[in-house]
Amino acid sequence: MSRHPVPDLLPGTLDLLILRTLQTGALHGWAISERIQQISEDVLQINQGSLYPALHRLEHQGWIAAEWAVSELGRRAKYYQLTASGRRQLAVEAREWERMSAAIGRVMKFA
Amino acid sequence: MNLRDLRLRTRALFAPRRAERELDEELAFHLEREARRLIDQGLSPADARARALARFGPVPLAADECRDARGTALVDTTIRDVLYALRGFMRAPLVALTIVSTVALGLGLVAVAFTILNMILFRVDQVPDVHEMFAVERVRTATGERAAFTRAQFDALRRGTSVFTDAYAEVSGMDTRVDGRIVGGSFVTATFFQVVGVNAARGRPLTSEDEEPGGGHAAIVLSHRGWDRLFARDPAVLGRTLLVNGVTLTVVGVMPEGFRGLAVVPPDYWASLSLLPRVYPFHGDGDGDVGLRVVGRLRPGLSQETALAGLGVWETGRTTDEKLERGTSSLTLLPWRGTVPQRREAVLVVAPLFFAFGLILLIGCANVANLLLARAVVRQREIGIRLSLGASRRRIVRQLLTESLLLALVAAAAGFAISRVVLEATINAVLTSIPPDIGDIVLVVPDADWRVLLFLLAGAFVSTAFFGLVPALQATRIEPLRTMRGEVAGDARPSRARNLLIAVQVSASALLLISAAVFLRSAMTATAANPGMRTADTLAVEIANEAVRTSVLQVLAAETSVAAVAASWPASFGPVRAAFAETAGAKAAVGYKFVSPEYFGVLDVGVVRGRTFTPAETTSTLSVAVVSETTARTLWPNAEAVGQIVRLEPDPESGTGADEPPLGSRTFTVVGVVRDVAGFRIAPLDPAVVYVPASATMPKASLTVRVHGDPDLAGRTLRDRLTIADREMVQVLGLSWVTRMETYFLLLAFWFTVALGGLALALTLSGLFGVLSYLVEQRTREIGVRMALGATARDVTRLVLSQSIGPVGFGLVIGGGSAAALATVLLATPAAAGIGQFVHVLDPVAYAASLFVILAACLAAASIPATRQD
Repeated sequence: MSRHPVPDLLPGTLDLLILRTLQTGALHGWAISERIQQISEDVLQINQGSLYPALHRLEHQGWIAAEWAVSELGRRAKYYQLTASGRRQLAVEAREWERMSAAIGRVMKFA
Repeated sequence: MNLRDLRLRTRALFAPRRAERELDEELAFHLEREARRLIDQGLSPADARARALARFGPVPLAADECRDARGTALVDTTIRDVLYALRGFMRAPLVALTIVSTVALGLGLVAVAFTILNMILFRVDQVPDVHEMFAVERVRTATGERAAFTRAQFDALRRGTSVFTDAYAEVSGMDTRVDGRIVGGSFVTATFFQVVGVNAARGRPLTSEDEEPGGGHAAIVLSHRGWDRLFARDPAVLGRTLLVNGVTLTVVGVMPEGFRGLAVVPPDYWASLSLLPRVYPFHGDGDGDVGLRVVGRLRPGLSQETALAGLGVWETGRTTDEKLERGTSSLTLLPWRGTVPQRREAVLVVAPLFFAFGLILLIGCANVANLLLARAVVRQREIGIRLSLGASRRRIVRQLLTESLLLALVAAAAGFAISRVVLEATINAVLTSIPPDIGDIVLVVPDADWRVLLFLLAGAFVSTAFFGLVPALQATRIEPLRTMRGEVAGDARPSRARNLLIAVQVSASALLLISAAVFLRSAMTATAANPGMRTADTLAVEIANEAVRTSVLQVLAAETSVAAVAASWPASFGPVRAAFAETAGAKAAVGYKFVSPEYFGVLDVGVVRGRTFTPAETTSTLSVAVVSETTARTLWPNAEAVGQIVRLEPDPESGTGADEPPLGSRTFTVVGVVRDVAGFRIAPLDPAVVYVPASATMPKASLTVRVHGDPDLAGRTLRDRLTIADREMVQVLGLSWVTRMETYFLLLAFWFTVALGGLALALTLSGLFGVLSYLVEQRTREIGVRMALGATARDVTRLVLSQSIGPVGFGLVIGGGSAAALATVLLATPAAAGIGQFVHVLDPVAYAASLFVILAACLAAASIPATRQD
């Protein structure tokens, strides 16, 4: 395992970020990483090498579905979008995240 | 796993190239898009591309992780393992070949035994709800014998009880003649096909209309086997006729393949029970009553105990039928599924086969294990390297398991082929070598089904896994560094394991070869045994039907090949009628026999003193008798027997019933003394005999015929002639038949064990040879040092030989000891006690000879590598 780069994000948060990014519509892999970076104002730098395995894993879990479509470059790209079960999963994970960050925030403030 | 996941996995599995292409395209797009962004920021295309790649990280790694997400890794690694194993086999093809062929050979033989066991025990008939089928058996409480049912009792049982939804009765295993071939028939009540619930594949089954013999030919239904044997699967078989024992029968149906009529071996045809008296006029006790087996389908939900209780209630409620022998017998229910109901006996019959074949498998596996022990060093090094390269132990074990499984699959397939060849060849050999006088036996090659295949696969896997995986598993429990240098783990004791394996092999070969020698010696003495009567050119003719006696005698008188005809009761080789003989001074148990005057001449029973019967002396009322030497010695130990008076009283305990010929007088004058007749070893005769006169016309008398020329040919001619006189097969048997049969079965046992023993010895020798060659090779340096220090070639040979003598000698002792122990145990069981009469199980010559052969062969095999030390 030591050969793999240590992820900058908390474990499990990459899935949540991908699902949340796709909530507004279908995107291809590069656009997902760009969107996350832009919105987080360059705080969250997605390790691009681990983005695609995560996308494939989510696809196998049935939370996102892939489709080939013509991209802005005029060539074929793989677009991902949320499925119904992906939406439910996003709701669950978002709630869990709220709870978690609130808890961490309290600890940071009062401990 | 959800549906989408399944779809993706399936696609990845079956269209791997497309999945790969799409993955490449997706990653390439990402890099191009990133580069475009950088170009838009003002970088040169080459710089942009390098930056994009650097930001992405190693592309193949990401691709690999994407592939992992697909979940096809299991299949991928399995394919890799298989390829790796195949490469290994290619590298050492001899090892793989040896393992496969030895395991396949042993396994094939064991599968033969299992195929037979499967046929008689597990292969239930293809009948709907076969578990509901039960045979009703009546056991006499006094003797434990099974008693058959009569038709009237069957009808009463069917009407009077409600434990069965319905029942049928049958007389099965009836041999009938069709165009000179023996064809097996089963005679059943009309309810048979309804009760079993199987419909005809062609035409129709028998119905109640076939029970009443009306106009036209009676109907029969063929089994699939009968259709094949008699009509070569002619599709237009319906309506064709068959001449069965001289009665014309019309084929109305053919049953489906796989339906055996709840028998182990299916009959060739089924016919109505009402036909039996026509096809078999003299079967049964005269008034048309025959012994029936009653089989019924239990009412659904009824347990066997409840049904049995119901039958008991029915039986005690019956008062009128005296033939049911109330109070002296009890009813039992036997599961009736087309297998042998006596499971324990069946297993006992097949057990020796399993044992003998299992020994071959054991020897073969010992060879394989020896081979693998010798290769363990090579293997350990290989595994050590893989372990130090970071392979997990689980991964390596899986690889080894794949290897074993591959070998097992090939071994199972080869074993199956071997088992079929052995079965076909053995049955063919028995059918062609059996003496014709023993008669047409119907032997079928048992089919193999999924159980046999499963058994083979499991057996192959267990053998290869046990002998291949266990040494390999031990190899993974090692320190990589040391094994890479070729140092075998210190606690392994390969030499001790090797010696033990050699000892096991030698003892198994000894056991088999001793059996072979015992059978051969017994067969030799059986051929040499003199029964005390002429057997070379004499035939026994048995007349079952008194109505044709005169015409049979006429045929015999007219036949030119017949030299002389004698008559006797009981038959010439049959046991004498027990009686008490009384004289003025003595009383003794003897046997008496009715013989015609020609008897002594035809059977060459020599006269010692006095005379035999004159041609006029043909009835026991004349009060003359001839006695055997033993009788003379017992009754008149100090006096001349000729001229003495003897009083005969038949032993009332051993009567054969009302049909035996009556003794015309009680007191007899002895006119001559003849030699004793010892009889055959499988049917010895009481030597104390009193012969009383009779003629060939006496009812029940059996005939013995002396013929000119070849007795087999004469027997065939007579059989043909007599079939014209009486279609109910007057039986003709050569008297040499009895000797030949005895010898034949001993020789059959001999060939069987000698083939197995030879195989065992060959495997053992090859194993011994291989191990010694390996050891000599391993110790080349040591031997060189010894020779440089002055050891002669003889010393070295002795050194190497002494290493193998120990385990071989140990194996011989164990093998001989276990053979003797097995023989003693066998003789102690009541069922096999009679075998001791004509098989000398403890014959010292047989033991010594086979042990010597093994010792000599082992020394020869060992001396080749031992002397090769240059």
